[in-house]
Amino acid sequence: MSKLKLSGVSKAYGATLALRRGDLEVLAGEVHVLMGSNGSGKSTLCKIIAGSVRPDDGRILIDDTPVTITGPRSARAQGIGIFYQELSLAAHRTVEENVCLAALPAKAGLFVDRTALKERAARYIALFDGVSGDGFSADALVGNLRPDQRQLVEIMKALASEAPLIIFDEPTSALDRAQVERFFEILRDLKRRGRGIIFISHRMDEIKAIGDRVTIIRDGETITTLNLGETDAGTVIRLMVGGAGDMPASQSSVPAVVDAKDGAALTVRNLSGAGFRNVSFEVARGEILGFGGLHGQGQSALLRAIFGAGAVASGEILIGSERFDAASPRDAIRRGCAYVSGDRGRDGVISGRPIIENVTPIHYLRDRLMIARPSKLSDRVAPALESMHTKFASLFHPINSLSGGNQQKVIIARWLIDRPDVLLLDDPTKGIDLSAKADLFALIRQLAAEGLGIVLYSSEDAELLGNANRILVFNGGSVSRELIGADRTRYNLYQAAYEAA
Amino acid sequence: MAEIATSPTYRRAGGIRRLLERYPFLPALAIVLVLLALNGVFSPNSLSYRSLTGLLSTYMALILLAIAQTYVVYAGDIDLSAGSILSLVNVAIVVLMERWGGGAGAVLLALAIGLLIGLACGLVNGFVVAALRLQAIVATFATSIFFTGLALYILPVAGTPAPTIFWRTYGGRLLGLPFVFYILAALVVLLTVLSRTRLTTQLLAVGDDQQAAYQTGLPVVAIRIRGYLLCGLFSALAAFCITGDTASGDPLVGGKMTLFSVAAVVLGGSALSGGWGTVVGSLLGALTIGLISSVVFFMGTPSEWQNFVQGLAILIVLMAGVLAGRRARP
Repeated sequence: MSKLKLSGVSKAYGATLALRRGDLEVLAGEVHVLMGSNGSGKSTLCKIIAGSVRPDDGRILIDDTPVTITGPRSARAQGIGIFYQELSLAAHRTVEENVCLAALPAKAGLFVDRTALKERAARYIALFDGVSGDGFSADALVGNLRPDQRQLVEIMKALASEAPLIIFDEPTSALDRAQVERFFEILRDLKRRGRGIIFISHRMDEIKAIGDRVTIIRDGETITTLNLGETDAGTVIRLMVGGAGDMPASQSSVPAVVDAKDGAALTVRNLSGAGFRNVSFEVARGEILGFGGLHGQGQSALLRAIFGAGAVASGEILIGSERFDAASPRDAIRRGCAYVSGDRGRDGVISGRPIIENVTPIHYLRDRLMIARPSKLSDRVAPALESMHTKFASLFHPINSLSGGNQQKVIIARWLIDRPDVLLLDDPTKGIDLSAKADLFALIRQLAAEGLGIVLYSSEDAELLGNANRILVFNGGSVSRELIGADRTRYNLYQAAYEAA
Repeated sequence: MAEIATSPTYRRAGGIRRLLERYPFLPALAIVLVLLALNGVFSPNSLSYRSLTGLLSTYMALILLAIAQTYVVYAGDIDLSAGSILSLVNVAIVVLMERWGGGAGAVLLALAIGLLIGLACGLVNGFVVAALRLQAIVATFATSIFFTGLALYILPVAGTPAPTIFWRTYGGRLLGLPFVFYILAALVVLLTVLSRTRLTTQLLAVGDDQQAAYQTGLPVVAIRIRGYLLCGLFSALAAFCITGDTASGDPLVGGKMTLFSVAAVVLGGSALSGGWGTVVGSLLGALTIGLISSVVFFMGTPSEWQNFVQGLAILIVLMAGVLAGRRARP
């Protein structure tokens, strides 16, 4: 009998289809692994089950009865608990309060029953006795804990739901080996008690150690479900990648080696900081260097640090042959470094303002412009926007009237009026439709041809393979592998990224 | 024992920090003591039993209003209409008491209705902010104008006196002790009881991270509305005190007090972003504002400079409080 069954579940955010067709069947007493590359729809699927995302279509059955999940509360009531990848903790509350937050034990229906709360929390805290590390106690504030300890609290919180079905969305990413082993013992115990568990992890060795069956999702679609005992890592990766996985980079238009025109545009030596350590690389003028690997392995942190928006602990950065240590983004811009973030809302768009104002801030800064005349500025703005086929009604319409792709084109156009020497792209195509992507990459390749040094971090492997001359694969904050020439295949990229972290 | 020295970066919080974590209002308490001492230096008489009682009965309304504000700030919200609710309840009860003859029964009935008005205003605020999802700062600014309009309709001109029995009780004594002391004692009991409710923990959890609280399965909208209800209730209680202190109705009496209540909350060590704070801190913060005015007065500041000095003093105290409080936050 299946504990949970999903069929044909889909979810779209605006024009982007996060989940096209999600099918999943979880049995009682099994650990069911979900696998898929970044953005394949795993997390969306989990959030639909947990009620924090409403599906557009599809059926959900719990114990063979069709149900509608209207929100996290309703999911809990139907017996679903979840560990959130991005955690759901209150930083100023204590460990025990966080563990019991979803259902605070009550006295007289009104007051918090402190004794019951302590007792209940202690049960789950005791599960990790000895591996929870220094400074971990029931009355410690969660905000004072280390990242791995916070992750343990989120695990305890998920366990405290005592739900018949628990989802763990990358629960082990910050844990050390001893903690992972303890966690797996707990999972095995839950299995014996007939609970159903959905487990997401990117570590092949962990999946082998704990999983019973695996469901593979690719591009928002469930591909297949396999018994882990009857398959091997290579098969799983090949299914995740799709048919053409073993072929060399499909768009062979990108030459592996660039003619070293006039030396390096950007040199980074032994750079360490928050989220990355000991990274060295060189980008030649005219080269596109790709950053690959799983999400959050230090790629963004590194790019932001180079741009002066994050702290650098040690190491050096050179632009051309000049020492470059940007104290702030303002400083970095003045010295010819550009940065485009995929998180437009946070890092790019000046929301509610006209398009022209969104194109010109960099120009103001680099030209030390004090008084601007719109008519004169338009002459400089228009060519920058046209070079990317940006569609807009007029320069004075608010930027919010544009689609995501066109907004991103406006953001990139910012940097084209006064050419930078180095362009840092931090997952620049997040949430953008295909034709806008094609326009963006055509422009990026053209910029490279004109002699810019470009670093491209993308969470989509096809973009890296199609545009980068070289790819550095990041794992745990440092470069684990460099892919050059014919090595640039999907298969290699996956393997390097998924190697035991 | 070998494990102890492993990770120096995330060491357990030090002594002072742990103390501040447990009692975040300590900096506010220290400031209150310093201000009391300053008062004593400039005018020894100001520390007398009589003067302190007077100070308490004058600032009890602000204390209650600051506490009202604290509950919404817990959840990361704000209520810019708290002062207007105070005004509305003030004029409503004064008019009702007068109309019903000013006897003890009339007073009590009017107070009960005052509480209901406070709750109703809180419900309106909670509805527009939490259910309709309007920005708290703008939405409550709008409702404040609305509430002030109602107050002006009920009593267009300030001056209707409160019944003698009401303000005599508030300013008088009971069993040899000033009445405000009983109010303070009752307040302490009420705050202790409230601090143990599930609602307080839930409000703080919502203020900490609203998305996380939602994903945890907390009824976020209902919790925020309850915060505004508490705010309305305490604003009504504050109105009772201001009525007792001024002995009259004034439709604009609370207007200036709103931002003082927000300042008191911050002085008390609470975070305006939510998730962190204490009501005791807000009580002390309100006292701080009262003591500053009193110090400025006793220093013999010329009257045209009093606002200037008062503003400067609040800024300095805010800076001191923020610097001390920042260490405590994880």
